[in-house]
Amino acid sequence: MSSDALPIDTTVDIVTPEGIAFHYQVAGPFRRLPAYVIDVLIRIAALIGLGMLAQVLSIGLGAGSLAIWILAEFVLSWFYGGLFEAYWNGQTPGKRLMGIRVLSATGRPVNAYQAILRNIMRTVDLGPMISGEILGLPPVPLIPTCVLGLAVMAANRRFQRLGDLASRTMVVIEDRPWLAGVARIEDPRTYQLASYLPADLRVSRSLAAALAHYAERRRYFTPLRRREVARHVAVPLLAQFRLPDNTSYDLLLSAMYYRLFIADRADDETHAARAQAAMTGSPPGAPAAPADQPADASQPTVLRGGP
Amino acid sequence: MKVAARLEQRQPDWVELDRLCSQSPTRLDAAALTRFAALYRAACADLALADAYQLPPNTVHYLHQLVGRAHNQLYRSRRLDVAGWRKTLLVDVPQRIVRDRCVQLSFVLFWATFLASGAMAYGRATWVEQILPASMLEMLETSFRDPIQDRDPELNYAMAAYYIRHNTGIGLRCFAWGILIIPGLRETLHNALILGAVFGYMRRPDVLAGENFFNFVTAHGPFELNAIVLAAGAGLRLGMGWLKTGGLTRAASLQKAGIEAMPMMGVAMLLFFLAALIEGFLSPTSLPYGLKAGVAILSAGMLVFYLLVLGFPRKGR
Repeated sequence: MSSDALPIDTTVDIVTPEGIAFHYQVAGPFRRLPAYVIDVLIRIAALIGLGMLAQVLSIGLGAGSLAIWILAEFVLSWFYGGLFEAYWNGQTPGKRLMGIRVLSATGRPVNAYQAILRNIMRTVDLGPMISGEILGLPPVPLIPTCVLGLAVMAANRRFQRLGDLASRTMVVIEDRPWLAGVARIEDPRTYQLASYLPADLRVSRSLAAALAHYAERRRYFTPLRRREVARHVAVPLLAQFRLPDNTSYDLLLSAMYYRLFIADRADDETHAARAQAAMTGSPPGAPAAPADQPADASQPTVLRGGP
Repeated sequence: MKVAARLEQRQPDWVELDRLCSQSPTRLDAAALTRFAALYRAACADLALADAYQLPPNTVHYLHQLVGRAHNQLYRSRRLDVAGWRKTLLVDVPQRIVRDRCVQLSFVLFWATFLASGAMAYGRATWVEQILPASMLEMLETSFRDPIQDRDPELNYAMAAYYIRHNTGIGLRCFAWGILIIPGLRETLHNALILGAVFGYMRRPDVLAGENFFNFVTAHGPFELNAIVLAAGAGLRLGMGWLKTGGLTRAASLQKAGIEAMPMMGVAMLLFFLAALIEGFLSPTSLPYGLKAGVAILSAGMLVFYLLVLGFPRKGR
């Protein structure tokens, strides 16, 4: 696929050594800035903690503890991110909290040089610094504007800032995944309609994907919207299956989804019985069921004229 | 096989893999690691066959995230490779420094500016007043008015730490801003101007603090000044990386420059560190000037050895 045909999206495809291609979502500034702020707060807290420790220790150590504090300040301000990313597999505490991770732009993990370089470069990405005098504040410390980093991030596909470009890294979102499984069919009439579908129902891959998309999304739609969306696919299918024109479009797509993805004809009765039990028991996890009623009630002729 | 049945069959494996991903891999025992690898490969296979299995889109999305998470657990960041440092430090970096046009340019610019500013400051008092703020001159005069006395040795630790932080910070800033070339050069030349003016001013016969000043700065001077040169040169290498690509794409060229510049910056940081140790523990003592000058000559000699002997261009490079 040539680069200008790529979708306008923030995903990156990675091919693993196992020969599998999977994709990541790239993290944008609105996820990365909070992570950075968390890290800065942790750094400040660590320095305050160390300072208090130095106060306690200075009884015995004198200026030596001050030396340790100064060194810690230096290391934390320049190498906090780099060392964490090298030793914590591309994450700092802030990044872990925000569910993001630094990876090499090839999708492989970063090495220590990349991690340290991209964090040294942060000082440029946060720039240009402006003096607080402009805002009527004291001139030091300088206020970072982040303009350079944001401008560079906006100019490339992977939200890479200058440090990312120099060390060839990117930051990806790594959420804990959540498996929804197959969509649930609540309406018992779906099973009845499914029995009118051809037993050897086969559809193209694109139609199967469309059905799966529809079945997953339909519970977010109002009945009228379902009808509108389903109409484009359902009308030619109704003709193909020789079902009456006034069959509910939504019900037809649900039935096809059920037949293709969930169960063969032999299992219909158990599924229908289970759905019936769920309906009468009215479990809390079926919000779409009541909303179904009015529109489906206006389509009572669904099952009357089967082939 | 229907999708629902397949999902039901595969789901326990996915959930188990997800659970293993949440644990630190160092805490897993051998059996769990083997299990992890098997589950990861199985999830990869599921993802590869997702299209053929006609898995629903949200399951595919789930698998992408699951495989991504497991991939990042399996392939981990490489930590600092201490074993490789010796070769990097003693073979690769000196040769690269000697060959690198950016370091050469930075060397010439820094020292030319430094010497010119020093000569101007030595010749004319007005130059010094233009370059250095009055408060800084006053501070220099007062702090070097008296001959250097031994101070509380414990204070030396704090001062050495302060020098490490302050000077290495300057070096890192010169390096980082070098990626945009102009700000990096500005920072470097600004430092050269100021330092040159101070040195030139202190050389003037009418400045009484001069003798004490040179007593203080001689020992750590060679390391510190050349560390700035090296840091600025490495930064300039980054900037030239994306500007002059040599046939690569801009991003690839910048990344190549990053790989070259990082070890040079590492050596610069080592020099800053050594300079800070000398500045903290040797320079502020009342030891005879000859000893300090000896340290300066020794450190300059080490630099020359490092660059000319270790860095001498070899065949096949």
